[in-house]
Amino acid sequence: MLSTRLLTKRYGSLTAVEDLDLEVGAGELFGFLGPNGAGKTTTIKMLVGLLRPTSGNARVAGVDITAEPEQAKALIGYVPDAATLYDKLSAREFLEFSGDLYHVERRLRDRRIAALLKLFDLQDRGDDFLSGYSRGMRQKVSLASALLHDPQVLFLDEPTVGLDPQSARQMKDILQDFCREGKTVFFSTHILEIAERMCTRLAIINHGRLVAMGSLQELRHMVGQDGQSLEQIFLELTGSREDDVSGVLRGLES
Amino acid sequence: MASRARPGAGALEGLGLGLLLWRVQLQMFTNQTVRSRQAGRIAATVTGAAVILLAWSWEGFITWLGVQASHRVPVRVDTVHVLSVAFLVYTGVLVFSSLVFSLNALLLNPDLDLLLAAPRSVESVLASRMVVQVLRLFLLSLLFTGPALVLLAVLNQNPLIPFAFALLFLLYPVFVVVIISLISLLLVRIIPVGRGREVLTLFGIALAIGINVANFLLNPALRDSGFGRRPGVAPSLPDIPAASSSWFPSGWAGRGAAAVLSGDWVTAGQWILLLLAASAAIFAAGSVLSGRLYMAGWIHAVPPRRRHATPRVRRLRGALPLLSPVLAAVVIKDWRMRTRDLAQLVRFIMPVVFLFIIFGLRFPRLLGAVRGLGDGPPAAMIGLIPAWILLFSLSISLGLSAVSLEGKSIWVYAASPNSTLRLLQAKCWSTALPVASLVALAALAAEIMIRPGWLWAVTAVVLAIAEAAAVTTLMVGIGAVFARFDWTDARRMMHPVGIFIGMGLFSMVSGISALLLGISIALAAVTRFPLFTTWLAAMTISVGGAVAVAALGILFGNQRLRGLEVG
Repeated sequence: MLSTRLLTKRYGSLTAVEDLDLEVGAGELFGFLGPNGAGKTTTIKMLVGLLRPTSGNARVAGVDITAEPEQAKALIGYVPDAATLYDKLSAREFLEFSGDLYHVERRLRDRRIAALLKLFDLQDRGDDFLSGYSRGMRQKVSLASALLHDPQVLFLDEPTVGLDPQSARQMKDILQDFCREGKTVFFSTHILEIAERMCTRLAIINHGRLVAMGSLQELRHMVGQDGQSLEQIFLELTGSREDDVSGVLRGLES
Repeated sequence: MASRARPGAGALEGLGLGLLLWRVQLQMFTNQTVRSRQAGRIAATVTGAAVILLAWSWEGFITWLGVQASHRVPVRVDTVHVLSVAFLVYTGVLVFSSLVFSLNALLLNPDLDLLLAAPRSVESVLASRMVVQVLRLFLLSLLFTGPALVLLAVLNQNPLIPFAFALLFLLYPVFVVVIISLISLLLVRIIPVGRGREVLTLFGIALAIGINVANFLLNPALRDSGFGRRPGVAPSLPDIPAASSSWFPSGWAGRGAAAVLSGDWVTAGQWILLLLAASAAIFAAGSVLSGRLYMAGWIHAVPPRRRHATPRVRRLRGALPLLSPVLAAVVIKDWRMRTRDLAQLVRFIMPVVFLFIIFGLRFPRLLGAVRGLGDGPPAAMIGLIPAWILLFSLSISLGLSAVSLEGKSIWVYAASPNSTLRLLQAKCWSTALPVASLVALAALAAEIMIRPGWLWAVTAVVLAIAEAAAVTTLMVGIGAVFARFDWTDARRMMHPVGIFIGMGLFSMVSGISALLLGISIALAAVTRFPLFTTWLAAMTISVGGAVAVAALGILFGNQRLRGLEVG
């Protein structure tokens, strides 16, 4: 469903993502992990066609995102980390706009909007301007917009940030239902607990390079210690050390 | 947040914090200009500095001329009164700018939370805002009057003049800034969350209209001008007798300034000291009071009003049946954004308001003069001038900002399965439709009143509509080339270079159209072709040229957008 070959993005002398090879199948809920600045958002933006790769390629359902961006984008739903929405539109108007951009037939669009607003508990606030929405509510509108055209692959960048526990749980359920229909979810997160519980497979990226990919069990084998939590594996593979943190904190106290 | 410190401590701490904030603002300014290491920004800074130097030279020259004239033709002027009136007028500017600044600081600037989270008293944080505003106004005053003051010091052989005036400029705004800051704290209570920008825009509009109407009605240079000055009426400055009252700060500042100019330093010192004492007292009291108001919960703005879609709003959905759903969606979305955001709505309304001020107040005499030209293309084309001015204003403000209007939400379109050319098409529709409609209305109204002959009038209106569509399309293309998506303030939507190029190309189109009109009239006279034929041919060439340039603009714009990366 999703594949990348030697995907690279450079900004001048800075290499944000280097030679990334990914393979994600249909029905997978794929977690993309990495420390801050590792290249997660850059990768997702290349995969949804917002950034052009410096080299390499990416395919979504067999369509090359660089060569045929419009065909590929029709198959993609995208939820950015901090969704900037049109403040002076209501949620309903924004979803109508989004539906039209994705060529959803009007009656179907209106039906889906009603269903999505209900699903995200926004039916009472659907006609309020987005400027009055909290971050979590905006995130919900953004996810509703990404689901509106019934995409094959859903890309989410830190989807649970700003959501209350109830909404985060609701989002997890929605994503799992989405995958059960044979569609793919590709999401980045910092919350390893969520990734551990939800994802069928995971990839860990550090300094723009893929350091590990596989199921949780495969990652455990990779670091050579069964029974380790994803957090321990993550820290092991990305070179983060708890004792480093303690040292710095002690330094601040003195 | 410790807010119960001894009286005056908050004001003193606020003074220190204000100076710290000012230093940070200067740092940000230098980082964005001379230290930016970006050729474009450095060039803009150098250009800006050159413009200021030019304006200073001009101001110096005018001051020198004025001083020379006063030596040759002695005029008896009540200096105290004139300077007091000047300070009173300056108070009006201070009120508006302080209101905008204070509300901006309270409603829109995120750094207020940062400051309040620091271990500083609320009084000192709010006082620091006042200090920053006073310093800003002080520097602006010096920027505008500096060369004149230096020249006066040289010509009067009195080197202390600039320093004394600088002290006046520093002290005089204090009472206005403090009072307005307190009023702002009260106003915030009735401004709904998220409507701060609109309220500030409203103040901006009121200020702009006020200045223009006052200028039009009071400026002696504009009074009785136009088609003949009434004989025996000498131009005079408006007078406000109360301005120089010794009970008002304007009177104190006016007296102090007049004494400085005449070299009477004892009198000057007395008035400046009075201003200093009053300013210090009001600043200290204002700091305490603002802290109390804040702590009493005045800052808590009212929550946004719940909104329910009305049938009128829902009707928009099927409003553009001839356009594809994507184009219609963008056009409707843009229309909603423009009409719901006051800052955007102003772009529609202001040109019409100014057109009314410029032409409406001089209407009968202008109409008589144009009607005197009789039937034919000159009268018909002169009738298009209001529409042309409207086109200039609307095409620049709406066309150039059409693509940038997306702002940070550009990702919504960029992630959708649509080409950039389609976005530009949609933007052309969303701007050309309202611009051409308003231009058509203005042209039609003018032609109906001028009555240059129906054939000429109808052709002129059609021509205006075609030019409006072409020019607006051109501006959309230029706006795409210089699109900005990182703005938070609507005023920063348009790139200065884009505005410059847009204005230049508009002037070219206007000049060529006027030239072609002249050629068509001359050609008809020489060759004895029917005037309508030569005129129509000339205007067709003019519209064709505008369309060709617009197409080029769209191509360039599309090229820029295709290379866009939403990083």
